Amino acid sequence: MMSGCPGSRTMTFPKDGGTEAPSGVVPSQLRQWPIQLHLVSPQAPYFQGADVVLAADCVPFAMGNFHNAYLKGKALAIACPKLDGDQEVYVEKIRGLFEDAKINSLTVTIMQVPCCRGLLGLAMQALKGSSRKVPVKSVIVSLQGEVLQEEWASA
Amino acid sequence: MEKYLRTPIKEIIGTYPPVGALLEEYRIGCVPCSVGTCLLADIVEIHNLSPEDEGALMAGIAGIVAPGRVVALPEPRSRRPETTRKLSYSPPMKALVDEHRHILRFLAVLPAVIDRFDARSEADRALVRDGIDFVRSYADRFHHAKEEDILFACFDPGLDILKAMREDHERGRAHVRAAGEALARCDGEGIAANLHGYAGVLAEHIKKEDEILYPWMDRNLSMRQVGELFARFRAVDERFAEDRKKYESFVGRLEDAYAEPISEVR
Repeated sequence: MMSGCPGSRTMTFPKDGGTEAPSGVVPSQLRQWPIQLHLVSPQAPYFQGADVVLAADCVPFAMGNFHNAYLKGKALAIACPKLDGDQEVYVEKIRGLFEDAKINSLTVTIMQVPCCRGLLGLAMQALKGSSRKVPVKSVIVSLQGEVLQEEWASA
Repeated sequence: MEKYLRTPIKEIIGTYPPVGALLEEYRIGCVPCSVGTCLLADIVEIHNLSPEDEGALMAGIAGIVAPGRVVALPEPRSRRPETTRKLSYSPPMKALVDEHRHILRFLAVLPAVIDRFDARSEADRALVRDGIDFVRSYADRFHHAKEEDILFACFDPGLDILKAMREDHERGRAHVRAAGEALARCDGEGIAANLHGYAGVLAEHIKKEDEILYPWMDRNLSMRQVGELFARFRAVDERFAEDRKKYESFVGRLEDAYAEPISEVR
Protein backbone atom coordinates (compact mmCIF):
# COMPACT_ATOMS: atom_id res chain seq x y z
CA MET A 1 0.00 0.00 0.00
CA MET A 2 1.29 3.48 -0.91
CA SER A 3 1.42 6.04 1.85
CA GLY A 4 3.20 9.17 2.93
CA CYS A 5 4.12 12.27 0.99
CA PRO A 6 4.14 11.76 -2.79
CA GLY A 7 7.01 14.23 -2.94
CA SER A 8 9.36 11.95 -1.02
CA ARG A 9 7.99 8.47 -1.74
CA THR A 10 10.72 6.05 -2.85
CA MET A 11 10.44 4.91 -6.47
CA THR A 12 12.71 3.55 -9.17
CA PHE A 13 12.32 3.98 -12.92
CA PRO A 14 13.97 1.06 -14.72
CA LYS A 15 15.62 2.04 -18.02
CA ASP A 16 16.58 -0.41 -20.73
CA GLY A 17 20.17 0.45 -21.51
CA GLY A 18 19.83 4.14 -22.16
CA THR A 19 17.53 4.10 -25.18
CA GLU A 20 17.05 7.36 -27.02
CA ALA A 21 20.12 8.89 -25.37
CA PRO A 22 21.49 11.58 -27.70
CA SER A 23 24.91 10.92 -29.12
CA GLY A 24 27.69 13.44 -28.60
CA VAL A 25 27.78 16.41 -26.28
CA VAL A 26 24.52 18.28 -25.78
CA PRO A 27 25.38 21.96 -25.32
CA SER A 28 24.10 23.76 -22.26
CA GLN A 29 21.60 26.56 -22.84
CA LEU A 30 22.42 28.23 -19.53
CA ARG A 31 23.47 31.86 -20.08
CA GLN A 32 24.01 33.15 -16.55
CA TRP A 33 25.24 32.58 -13.02
CA PRO A 34 23.98 32.39 -10.29
CA ILE A 35 20.65 30.66 -10.73
CA GLN A 36 19.32 29.93 -7.22
CA LEU A 37 16.46 32.30 -6.40
CA HIS A 38 18.03 33.44 -3.10
CA LEU A 39 21.25 34.28 -4.93
CA VAL A 40 19.98 36.03 -8.04
CA SER A 41 19.13 39.71 -8.16
CA PRO A 42 16.34 41.26 -10.23
CA GLN A 43 18.92 43.94 -11.10
CA ALA A 44 21.13 41.39 -12.87
CA PRO A 45 21.57 42.30 -16.54
CA TYR A 46 20.47 38.88 -17.74
CA PHE A 47 16.96 39.45 -16.31
CA GLN A 48 16.31 42.83 -17.91
CA GLY A 49 13.43 42.45 -20.38
CA ALA A 50 14.06 38.70 -20.48
CA ASP A 51 11.80 35.71 -20.83
CA VAL A 52 12.40 33.93 -17.53
CA VAL A 53 12.01 30.32 -16.43
CA LEU A 54 11.36 29.73 -12.75
CA ALA A 55 12.10 26.04 -12.34
CA ALA A 56 11.51 23.82 -9.36
CA ASP A 57 14.86 22.26 -8.45
CA CYS A 58 13.89 18.75 -9.56
CA VAL A 59 12.52 19.64 -13.00
CA PRO A 60 15.79 19.85 -14.99
CA PHE A 61 16.78 16.42 -13.65
CA ALA A 62 13.45 14.77 -14.38
CA MET A 63 13.17 16.26 -17.86
CA GLY A 64 15.83 15.07 -20.28
CA ASN A 65 15.18 17.86 -22.75
CA PHE A 66 14.82 20.77 -20.30
CA HIS A 67 17.62 22.85 -21.82
CA ASN A 68 16.27 22.82 -25.35
CA ALA A 69 12.57 22.71 -24.53
CA TYR A 70 12.40 25.40 -21.85
CA LEU A 71 15.75 27.04 -21.04
CA LYS A 72 16.89 28.00 -24.53
CA GLY A 73 16.83 31.77 -24.98
CA LYS A 74 15.63 32.42 -21.43
CA ALA A 75 17.02 33.54 -18.07
CA LEU A 76 16.68 31.12 -15.16
CA ALA A 77 15.90 31.02 -11.45
CA ILE A 78 15.50 27.81 -9.47
CA ALA A 79 13.92 27.11 -6.10
CA CYS A 80 12.30 24.41 -4.02
CA PRO A 81 8.99 25.39 -2.47
CA LYS A 82 9.15 22.46 -0.07
CA LEU A 83 12.61 22.78 1.43
CA ASP A 84 13.77 26.37 0.92
CA GLY A 85 13.38 28.89 3.75
CA ASP A 86 12.50 32.58 3.75
CA GLN A 87 10.00 32.20 0.97
CA GLU A 88 8.56 35.67 1.54
CA VAL A 89 11.88 36.84 0.10
CA TYR A 90 11.08 34.78 -2.98
CA VAL A 91 7.78 36.58 -3.45
CA GLU A 92 9.49 39.97 -3.27
CA LYS A 93 12.21 38.85 -5.61
CA ILE A 94 9.78 37.56 -8.22
CA ARG A 95 7.82 40.80 -7.89
CA GLY A 96 11.14 42.55 -8.54
CA LEU A 97 11.48 40.57 -11.75
CA PHE A 98 8.06 41.83 -12.90
CA GLU A 99 8.44 45.43 -11.80
CA ASP A 100 12.17 46.23 -11.82
CA ALA A 101 13.66 43.84 -14.36
CA LYS A 102 10.53 44.31 -16.49
CA ILE A 103 10.73 40.73 -17.66
CA ASN A 104 8.75 39.89 -20.80
CA SER A 105 7.24 36.59 -19.65
CA LEU A 106 7.53 33.98 -16.90
CA THR A 107 7.39 30.21 -17.36
CA VAL A 108 7.05 28.29 -14.08
CA THR A 109 8.06 24.65 -14.42
CA ILE A 110 7.10 22.41 -11.51
CA MET A 111 6.91 18.72 -10.71
CA GLN A 112 3.61 16.87 -10.49
CA VAL A 113 3.98 16.27 -6.75
CA PRO A 114 1.53 18.40 -4.72
CA CYS A 115 4.14 20.33 -2.75
CA CYS A 116 5.61 21.70 -5.95
CA ARG A 117 2.45 23.72 -6.60
CA GLY A 118 3.77 26.05 -3.94
CA LEU A 119 6.26 27.51 -6.41
CA LEU A 120 3.49 28.50 -8.80
CA GLY A 121 1.64 29.91 -5.80
CA LEU A 122 4.63 32.13 -4.93
CA ALA A 123 4.83 33.37 -8.53
CA MET A 124 1.10 34.14 -8.63
CA GLN A 125 1.27 35.91 -5.28
CA ALA A 126 4.07 38.05 -6.68
CA LEU A 127 2.11 38.75 -9.87
CA LYS A 128 -0.97 39.72 -7.90
CA GLY A 129 1.05 42.19 -5.86
CA SER A 130 2.86 43.59 -8.88
CA SER A 131 1.84 46.82 -10.55
CA ARG A 132 3.13 45.42 -13.81
CA LYS A 133 1.60 42.29 -15.37
CA VAL A 134 3.20 39.80 -17.72
CA PRO A 135 2.02 36.47 -19.16
CA VAL A 136 2.74 33.55 -16.83
CA LYS A 137 2.62 29.98 -18.03
CA SER A 138 2.76 26.94 -15.76
CA VAL A 139 4.23 23.64 -16.89
CA ILE A 140 3.69 20.50 -14.82
CA VAL A 141 6.25 17.75 -15.35
CA SER A 142 5.82 14.11 -14.40
CA LEU A 143 8.35 12.22 -12.30
CA GLN A 144 9.75 10.74 -15.50
CA GLY A 145 9.98 14.06 -17.30
CA GLU A 146 6.85 14.17 -19.46
CA VAL A 147 4.93 17.40 -19.76
CA LEU A 148 1.56 16.66 -18.16
CA GLN A 149 0.03 20.09 -18.45
CA GLU A 150 0.81 23.52 -19.83
CA GLU A 151 -1.55 26.32 -19.07
CA TRP A 152 -1.72 30.08 -18.81
CA ALA A 153 -2.10 31.40 -15.33
CA SER A 154 -4.05 34.51 -14.43
CA ALA A 155 -3.50 36.66 -11.35
CA MET B 1 -2.74 14.05 -53.47
CA GLU B 2 -0.04 16.71 -53.35
CA LYS B 3 -1.95 18.65 -56.03
CA TYR B 4 -5.07 18.77 -53.84
CA LEU B 5 -3.09 19.75 -50.76
CA ARG B 6 -1.96 22.86 -52.65
CA THR B 7 -5.49 23.70 -53.87
CA PRO B 8 -7.80 26.32 -52.26
CA ILE B 9 -10.46 24.56 -50.22
CA LYS B 10 -13.39 26.33 -51.90
CA GLU B 11 -12.20 25.02 -55.26
CA ILE B 12 -12.01 21.46 -53.92
CA ILE B 13 -15.46 21.65 -52.30
CA GLY B 14 -16.89 23.23 -55.46
CA THR B 15 -15.62 20.37 -57.60
CA TYR B 16 -16.18 17.62 -55.01
CA PRO B 17 -19.05 18.68 -52.67
CA PRO B 18 -18.80 15.53 -50.46
CA VAL B 19 -15.40 16.81 -49.31
CA GLY B 20 -17.27 19.60 -47.50
CA ALA B 21 -19.42 17.11 -45.60
CA LEU B 22 -16.36 15.04 -44.76
CA LEU B 23 -14.57 18.10 -43.36
CA GLU B 24 -17.65 18.85 -41.23
CA GLU B 25 -17.31 15.37 -39.69
CA TYR B 26 -13.93 16.49 -38.40
CA ARG B 27 -15.39 19.80 -37.19
CA ILE B 28 -13.63 21.71 -39.95
CA GLY B 29 -16.24 24.24 -41.01
CA CYS B 30 -14.98 25.41 -44.40
CA VAL B 31 -18.29 25.01 -46.24
CA PRO B 32 -19.94 28.24 -45.06
CA CYS B 33 -16.71 30.24 -45.31
CA SER B 34 -17.25 33.03 -47.80
CA VAL B 35 -13.59 33.33 -48.76
CA GLY B 36 -12.26 29.77 -48.99
CA THR B 37 -8.80 30.60 -50.32
CA CYS B 38 -7.01 28.53 -47.65
CA LEU B 39 -5.09 25.58 -49.03
CA LEU B 40 -6.16 22.10 -47.92
CA ALA B 41 -2.68 21.48 -46.44
CA ASP B 42 -2.90 24.64 -44.32
CA ILE B 43 -6.39 23.77 -43.12
CA VAL B 44 -5.25 20.36 -41.93
CA GLU B 45 -2.33 21.95 -40.11
CA ILE B 46 -4.39 24.73 -38.55
CA HIS B 47 -6.91 22.27 -37.09
CA ASN B 48 -4.18 20.20 -35.43
CA LEU B 49 -5.88 16.83 -35.92
CA SER B 50 -4.46 13.71 -34.32
CA PRO B 51 -2.27 11.65 -36.71
CA GLU B 52 -5.06 9.02 -36.84
CA ASP B 53 -7.75 11.55 -37.73
CA GLU B 54 -5.49 13.27 -40.23
CA GLY B 55 -4.73 9.95 -41.93
CA ALA B 56 -8.42 9.00 -42.02
CA LEU B 57 -9.42 12.43 -43.36
CA MET B 58 -6.81 12.29 -46.11
CA ALA B 59 -7.87 8.77 -47.07
CA GLY B 60 -11.50 9.93 -47.16
CA ILE B 61 -10.67 12.90 -49.39
CA ALA B 62 -8.60 10.66 -51.67
CA GLY B 63 -11.59 8.31 -51.93
CA ILE B 64 -13.75 11.24 -53.08
CA VAL B 65 -11.36 12.96 -55.51
CA ALA B 66 -9.84 9.77 -56.95
CA PRO B 67 -12.31 6.92 -56.34
CA GLY B 68 -10.96 3.45 -56.90
CA ARG B 69 -7.41 4.68 -57.45
CA VAL B 70 -4.41 4.10 -55.26
CA VAL B 71 -3.23 7.50 -54.05
CA ALA B 72 -0.04 8.20 -52.13
CA LEU B 73 -1.14 9.89 -48.92
CA PRO B 74 1.09 12.35 -47.07
CA GLU B 75 2.63 11.18 -43.83
CA PRO B 76 0.46 12.54 -40.98
CA ARG B 77 2.27 15.26 -39.06
CA SER B 78 2.97 14.68 -35.42
CA ARG B 79 0.36 16.59 -33.51
CA ARG B 80 1.18 19.22 -30.93
CA PRO B 81 0.93 17.78 -27.41
CA GLU B 82 -2.55 17.27 -26.04
CA THR B 83 -1.79 19.69 -23.23
CA THR B 84 -1.38 22.58 -25.67
CA ARG B 85 -4.47 21.64 -27.68
CA LYS B 86 -6.85 22.71 -24.93
CA LEU B 87 -8.83 25.80 -25.84
CA SER B 88 -6.98 27.91 -23.31
CA TYR B 89 -5.97 31.29 -24.67
CA SER B 90 -2.72 33.05 -23.89
CA PRO B 91 -3.27 36.41 -22.12
CA PRO B 92 -3.08 38.55 -25.30
CA MET B 93 -5.46 36.21 -27.17
CA LYS B 94 -7.77 36.17 -24.16
CA ALA B 95 -7.91 39.98 -24.34
CA LEU B 96 -9.03 39.79 -27.98
CA VAL B 97 -11.62 37.11 -27.17
CA ASP B 98 -12.99 39.31 -24.37
CA GLU B 99 -13.33 42.18 -26.85
CA HIS B 100 -15.19 39.82 -29.18
CA ARG B 101 -17.75 39.27 -26.43
CA HIS B 102 -18.61 42.98 -26.39
CA ILE B 103 -18.90 43.01 -30.17
CA LEU B 104 -21.10 39.88 -30.08
CA ARG B 105 -23.35 41.51 -27.49
CA PHE B 106 -23.74 44.44 -29.87
CA LEU B 107 -24.48 42.10 -32.79
CA ALA B 108 -27.05 40.24 -30.66
CA VAL B 109 -29.08 43.38 -29.99
CA LEU B 110 -28.69 44.78 -33.52
CA PRO B 111 -31.72 42.97 -35.04
CA ALA B 112 -34.01 44.56 -32.43
CA VAL B 113 -32.54 47.99 -33.20
CA ILE B 114 -33.09 47.46 -36.92
CA ASP B 115 -36.63 46.11 -36.43
CA ARG B 116 -37.74 49.15 -34.47
CA PHE B 117 -35.85 51.68 -36.57
CA ASP B 118 -37.92 54.54 -37.95
CA ALA B 119 -35.98 56.67 -40.44
CA ARG B 120 -38.20 59.67 -39.61
CA SER B 121 -37.18 59.60 -35.94
CA GLU B 122 -34.15 61.72 -35.08
CA ALA B 123 -33.67 59.63 -31.89
CA ASP B 124 -33.53 56.41 -33.95
CA ARG B 125 -31.14 57.95 -36.46
CA ALA B 126 -28.91 59.13 -33.60
CA LEU B 127 -28.90 55.63 -32.14
CA VAL B 128 -27.84 54.07 -35.45
CA ARG B 129 -25.19 56.77 -35.74
CA ASP B 130 -23.90 55.75 -32.30
CA GLY B 131 -23.98 52.09 -33.34
CA ILE B 132 -21.94 52.84 -36.44
CA ASP B 133 -19.54 54.83 -34.27
CA PHE B 134 -19.19 51.79 -31.95
CA VAL B 135 -18.36 49.58 -34.91
CA ARG B 136 -15.89 52.01 -36.44
CA SER B 137 -14.19 52.96 -33.20
CA TYR B 138 -14.36 49.92 -30.92
CA ALA B 139 -14.59 46.98 -33.32
CA ASP B 140 -12.44 48.44 -36.07
CA ARG B 141 -10.09 51.17 -34.86
CA PHE B 142 -9.42 49.55 -31.46
CA HIS B 143 -9.88 45.78 -31.89
CA HIS B 144 -9.18 45.11 -35.57
CA ALA B 145 -6.23 47.48 -35.48
CA LYS B 146 -4.69 45.35 -32.70
CA GLU B 147 -5.12 42.33 -34.93
CA GLU B 148 -3.97 43.79 -38.23
CA ASP B 149 -1.16 46.05 -36.99
CA ILE B 150 0.24 43.94 -34.15
CA LEU B 151 -0.93 40.31 -34.05
CA PHE B 152 -0.92 39.46 -37.74
CA ALA B 153 2.56 40.99 -38.05
CA CYS B 154 3.89 38.01 -36.04
CA PHE B 155 3.06 35.71 -38.97
CA ASP B 156 3.83 35.42 -42.66
CA PRO B 157 1.58 38.05 -44.28
CA GLY B 158 1.12 35.75 -47.27
CA LEU B 159 -0.75 33.12 -45.22
CA ASP B 160 -4.15 32.45 -46.75
CA ILE B 161 -5.84 32.33 -43.36
CA LEU B 162 -4.67 35.89 -42.65
CA LYS B 163 -5.75 37.07 -46.09
CA ALA B 164 -9.19 35.59 -45.38
CA MET B 165 -9.38 37.42 -42.04
CA ARG B 166 -8.37 40.73 -43.64
CA GLU B 167 -10.99 40.22 -46.35
CA ASP B 168 -13.61 39.68 -43.63
CA HIS B 169 -12.53 42.99 -42.04
CA GLU B 170 -12.81 44.74 -45.41
CA ARG B 171 -16.26 43.27 -46.08
CA GLY B 172 -17.39 44.44 -42.65
CA ARG B 173 -16.01 47.93 -43.32
CA ALA B 174 -17.81 48.07 -46.68
CA HIS B 175 -21.14 47.23 -45.00
CA VAL B 176 -20.58 49.89 -42.34
CA ARG B 177 -19.63 52.48 -44.97
CA ALA B 178 -22.79 51.66 -46.92
CA ALA B 179 -24.90 51.78 -43.74
CA GLY B 180 -23.50 55.24 -42.99
CA GLU B 181 -24.33 56.43 -46.51
CA ALA B 182 -27.85 55.00 -46.21
CA LEU B 183 -28.25 56.81 -42.88
CA ALA B 184 -27.25 60.10 -44.48
CA ARG B 185 -30.10 59.77 -46.98
CA CYS B 186 -32.56 58.37 -44.36
CA ASP B 187 -32.81 55.11 -46.30
CA GLY B 188 -34.18 52.63 -43.73
CA GLU B 189 -33.93 49.62 -46.02
CA GLY B 190 -30.34 50.39 -46.92
CA ILE B 191 -29.44 50.75 -43.25
CA ALA B 192 -31.14 47.47 -42.34
CA ALA B 193 -29.60 45.50 -45.22
CA ASN B 194 -26.09 46.66 -44.47
CA LEU B 195 -26.27 46.30 -40.71
CA HIS B 196 -27.64 42.77 -41.13
CA GLY B 197 -24.85 42.13 -43.63
CA TYR B 198 -22.28 43.43 -41.18
CA ALA B 199 -23.66 41.26 -38.36
CA GLY B 200 -23.50 38.17 -40.57
CA VAL B 201 -19.90 38.78 -41.62
CA LEU B 202 -18.68 39.60 -38.10
CA ALA B 203 -20.44 36.74 -36.29
CA GLU B 204 -18.91 34.17 -38.63
CA HIS B 205 -15.56 35.95 -38.55
CA ILE B 206 -15.40 35.97 -34.75
CA LYS B 207 -16.29 32.28 -34.59
CA LYS B 208 -13.42 31.49 -36.97
CA GLU B 209 -10.99 33.55 -34.92
CA ASP B 210 -12.03 32.23 -31.51
CA GLU B 211 -12.20 28.57 -32.47
CA ILE B 212 -9.56 28.20 -35.17
CA LEU B 213 -7.25 31.14 -35.74
CA TYR B 214 -6.33 32.15 -32.19
CA PRO B 215 -5.73 28.59 -30.93
CA TRP B 216 -3.54 27.96 -33.98
CA MET B 217 -1.63 31.20 -33.37
CA ASP B 218 -1.17 30.31 -29.70
CA ARG B 219 0.35 26.98 -30.69
CA ASN B 220 2.85 28.78 -32.91
CA LEU B 221 3.80 31.84 -30.85
CA SER B 222 6.94 31.73 -28.69
CA MET B 223 6.92 32.98 -25.10
CA ARG B 224 8.86 36.02 -26.34
CA GLN B 225 6.14 36.83 -28.86
CA VAL B 226 3.35 36.27 -26.32
CA GLY B 227 5.05 38.63 -23.85
CA GLU B 228 5.60 41.29 -26.52
CA LEU B 229 2.01 41.03 -27.78
CA PHE B 230 0.74 41.35 -24.22
CA ALA B 231 2.78 44.52 -23.63
CA ARG B 232 1.81 46.09 -26.96
CA PHE B 233 -1.89 45.32 -26.47
CA ARG B 234 -1.78 46.87 -23.00
CA ALA B 235 -0.20 50.00 -24.46
CA VAL B 236 -3.11 50.24 -26.93
CA ASP B 237 -5.57 49.60 -24.06
CA GLU B 238 -4.06 52.46 -22.09
CA ARG B 239 -4.29 54.86 -25.04
CA PHE B 240 -7.91 53.83 -25.65
CA ALA B 241 -8.92 53.46 -21.98
CA GLU B 242 -11.54 56.21 -21.75
CA ASP B 243 -13.12 55.45 -25.13
CA ARG B 244 -13.15 51.77 -24.30
CA LYS B 245 -15.22 52.35 -21.18
CA LYS B 246 -17.57 54.57 -23.15
CA TYR B 247 -18.15 52.02 -25.92
CA GLU B 248 -18.48 49.03 -23.62
CA SER B 249 -21.09 50.84 -21.54
CA PHE B 250 -22.88 51.85 -24.76
CA VAL B 251 -23.49 48.15 -25.46
CA GLY B 252 -24.96 47.72 -21.98
CA ARG B 253 -27.28 50.68 -22.48
CA LEU B 254 -28.37 49.34 -25.86
CA GLU B 255 -29.20 45.98 -24.30
CA ASP B 256 -31.20 47.66 -21.55
CA ALA B 257 -33.16 49.68 -24.05
CA TYR B 258 -33.78 47.10 -26.74
CA ALA B 259 -33.56 43.56 -25.55
CA GLU B 260 -33.68 41.08 -22.76
CA PRO B 261 -30.31 41.12 -21.01
CA ILE B 262 -28.02 38.74 -22.88
CA SER B 263 -26.14 36.87 -20.21
CA GLU B 264 -24.51 34.30 -22.47
CA VAL B 265 -24.01 35.08 -26.12
CA ARG B 266 -21.51 32.36 -26.98
